[in-house]
Amino acid sequence: MSKSWKLFVWLLAAVLVLSACGGGGKSSSSGASGGSSSSSSSSSSSSGDAQDPVELTAWAWNVNVGALNEAIAMYQKDHPHVSLKVEDIGRLDVYDKLSTGLAAGGAGLPDIVLVEDDRIHGYLDAFPNGFANLSELGFDQYADLFPDFKKNLTSLDGVFYAMPFDSGPTGMFYRRDIFEQAGVNPDSIETWDDFFNAALEIKNKTGVYAFPADKFKDDANFRMMMNQLGVYYFDKDGNIDFKNPKVIQAMNNMKRFGDADLVKDVNGWDGTVSATVDGSVATIPFGAWYYGTIIDQAKETEGKWGVFLLPAFEKGGNRAANLGGSSWMIPASSKHKEEAYQFMAFFSTTPEVQIMAMEKYGLFPSLLTAYDSPLFTSEVSFFGGQKIWQLFSEEMPDIPTPYYTKDYAIAFDEAVKAQADVFNGKDPAQALAEAAERLASRTGRAVNEY
Amino acid sequence: MRTKAHVPYLFLMPAIVLFSVFTVYPIVYSFLLSFQTGAGGNMKYAGLANYRRLLEDSIFWKSLSNTFIILAVQVPVMLFLALVLASMLHSLVRGRAFFRISFFMPAVTALVSYSIIFSLMLAGDGLVNQLLEAVGLKAVPWLSHPVWAKAAIILALTWRWTGYNMMIYLAGMQNIPDSLYEAASIDGAGKIRQFFTITIPQLRPIILLTAILSTIGTLQLFDEPYTLTRGGPSDATLTIGMYLYQTGFRYFDFGYASTLAYVIVVLIAVLSFVQFRITGGKD
Repeated sequence: MSKSWKLFVWLLAAVLVLSACGGGGKSSSSGASGGSSSSSSSSSSSSGDAQDPVELTAWAWNVNVGALNEAIAMYQKDHPHVSLKVEDIGRLDVYDKLSTGLAAGGAGLPDIVLVEDDRIHGYLDAFPNGFANLSELGFDQYADLFPDFKKNLTSLDGVFYAMPFDSGPTGMFYRRDIFEQAGVNPDSIETWDDFFNAALEIKNKTGVYAFPADKFKDDANFRMMMNQLGVYYFDKDGNIDFKNPKVIQAMNNMKRFGDADLVKDVNGWDGTVSATVDGSVATIPFGAWYYGTIIDQAKETEGKWGVFLLPAFEKGGNRAANLGGSSWMIPASSKHKEEAYQFMAFFSTTPEVQIMAMEKYGLFPSLLTAYDSPLFTSEVSFFGGQKIWQLFSEEMPDIPTPYYTKDYAIAFDEAVKAQADVFNGKDPAQALAEAAERLASRTGRAVNEY
Repeated sequence: MRTKAHVPYLFLMPAIVLFSVFTVYPIVYSFLLSFQTGAGGNMKYAGLANYRRLLEDSIFWKSLSNTFIILAVQVPVMLFLALVLASMLHSLVRGRAFFRISFFMPAVTALVSYSIIFSLMLAGDGLVNQLLEAVGLKAVPWLSHPVWAKAAIILALTWRWTGYNMMIYLAGMQNIPDSLYEAASIDGAGKIRQFFTITIPQLRPIILLTAILSTIGTLQLFDEPYTLTRGGPSDATLTIGMYLYQTGFRYFDFGYASTLAYVIVVLIAVLSFVQFRITGGKD
C-alpha cells in the first residue's frame, strides 16, 4: 500500500514538473504575442523614453549579411540602443527554419528575415497571420520610392508585408572578346532573331555556346522571357497561363536555341559559374546581381565583359525583365516589431545604405532615389568602361510584374518538367498544355484557354 | 538493502521522456496531421480527404512506380554483388583489410562530395561520357533521359551501399564453419558450386536482414534523386521520399506530406512481412 502510494507521489511530482515546463513555455509565448499585437504602441513608447537596449536578430544569407551589419553600424549613430545579431544561414536553410517556425506558431523566429520575392506571396498565403502588417506600422508613406513590380511583389491586397531590398533587372552578360573573334557586333542585336543568327555565327567560328541553361532542373531563361513578354506562370487573377500564346512563344524560343545546339547544359549554379569562368558560353542571361559573381570568379577576364538588354521578341518590343531579388519581412511573433520596423525602414529607404550594399556587395537597389547617385552613371572598368548600372537602373521602371501566387513552387516544378519534355523532343505547346493540366489538378486553379 | 520500487522508474525516466518527446509525439502528431488539410498554422480535420486525394494523385502513383522500379532492380543487383565481393574477399589471403576499407569507403563518404562528384562525372560532357566516347561508344544522357536517369540513380546507390552490405556478409561468413567447405571440396564441388550451395544458404538470415534494410532504405530514397536529378527529367526519378519532401517543405502541405509518410510506413511493414515469409524466417 505504502509502496504504491509512494510511486503515485513520484509520478505526480514528475507530471507537475513536466507540466510546469510546458505551461511556462506557453505562458511566455502567449505573453509575447499578446504584448506585441495588442500594445505595439506601448512597447514602442517604453523603448522610446527608457531607451532600453534592444537586440534584434535577423536571418540572412550570403552578401546580405555584410550589408545588414554595415547598415546597423550606420543606424546606431542615431539609435545607439539598438543592436543587431545577424545569423548567416544558407538560403534554403532559412526557408526550412522559417517554415518550421511559422508552422509552430512563430516559435524561435528572428525579428527580421530575408525572403526572396518569388516566395513572399507563398508565405503570406500559407501563414496569413505569420508576418507583421507593415502598412499599419507606417510603410505606405514610402510606397512611391519603389518601382511598380516591386510594390506588387511585396504587398498583398494593398497591404505591405515586406520591405523591398534588391532586384535583378536582367541583361545578357557577354564576352566582348568572343563576339569580336566571331565578328559579331553586340550593338546590332535587337531581337531574339538577331541574337539567334549571331549565336550561330559565334558557334561556327569559335565553337562557343550561346548561353548556359540547367535544361532539366531549372527554367531561369524561360522565366526571364515570359516576364519580358508580360506573362508568367499565372495571370494577375491567379489563373494558370501556360496556354498563353506568349508563354508558348517563350518556350519555342528556348527550343530553337536547344535544337540548334546553342545551349550549354549545365548543372545548377556551380555549372553556370564554371561555364562563365571557362569561356564556353558567349553570354549569360541573368539578373544584375550576377555582376558580383563575374568580378569575383572570373578575375582574369577583366575588361572583356559587356552587357546588353535581353533581345526583344519583335523589333521595338519590351527588353526589360527581372530575375530574383529579395525583401525583408518581420515575423508577427517578433517581440521587437516596432524597433525592427524602424531599422528596416531606415535600411530600405535610405539611399546611402542601398548604395553601400550595391558598391560593396553588388546588391542592386530597388529604391528609385538611390539611382541619383553618381555611382549609377559611372563607367565600370571590368566591363570595358560600359555604364552598366545606368543600363540596369533605366530598365527598372519598365519591368512587368510577374505573378507568383502561393503555388509558385508547384508551377515552377511543372514548368521545369515541360521544359525537360521540350528538350527531350516534345512540342512546346503540347508540353505546356500537359503541364497546365497537371498544375490545374494539383492546385485546383483554372487554366486560361486561348 | 532492498531497492525501493520506484527507483528503476527514476532511472528509466530520462529515456522515457526523451523517447516520448522526440519519437512518440511526432509519430502520433503526424498521424493526426495526415487527416488534416490546410497550410501552415491553420489546419482543419478533413477526414479521409488526404487519402482519397492520394488515390487520384497521378504524381504519387508515378513516384510509387519509380520507387518500386528502382527497388526491384537495385536491391537484388546490389546484394548479389555484395555477396560475390564478400566471398572473394573472404577467400583472399593478403590485402583483405585494404580491399575491405576500399569497398566500405563509399558508405561513409560525405553525401555532399559524393553527389557533386557523381553529378560531375555523369554530366553530358562529364568523365563517364568522355570515357565512353574514347572507346568509340555513344555518349549517354545520364541525367536527362527518363530511363538513363533511373539507371544513374541505381548506379550511384549501388556504388554507395554495396560495400556496406559486403561488410555485413563478411561478418556473417566468419560463422560458416570451414569444415563445410572442406567436405564440399573433397566431394568435388568447385568454388562456384560452394558459393551457391554453402555460402548463400548459410547466410540466409543475414541476407534477409540486408534485404529488409535495403528495402527500407530504398523506399525512403531521397538523397540521390535530390542531389543528382531533382526528381527529373519530368518526374522520371521522383521517389516517394522526394515527393514527401516537396509536399511538406516546398509546398507547405504538411497534412498531405504526413499522409505520404504513413503510406511509406505501411509499405515498409508489408514488404518486410512478405520478405520474412518468402525467405522463411523460421526463427
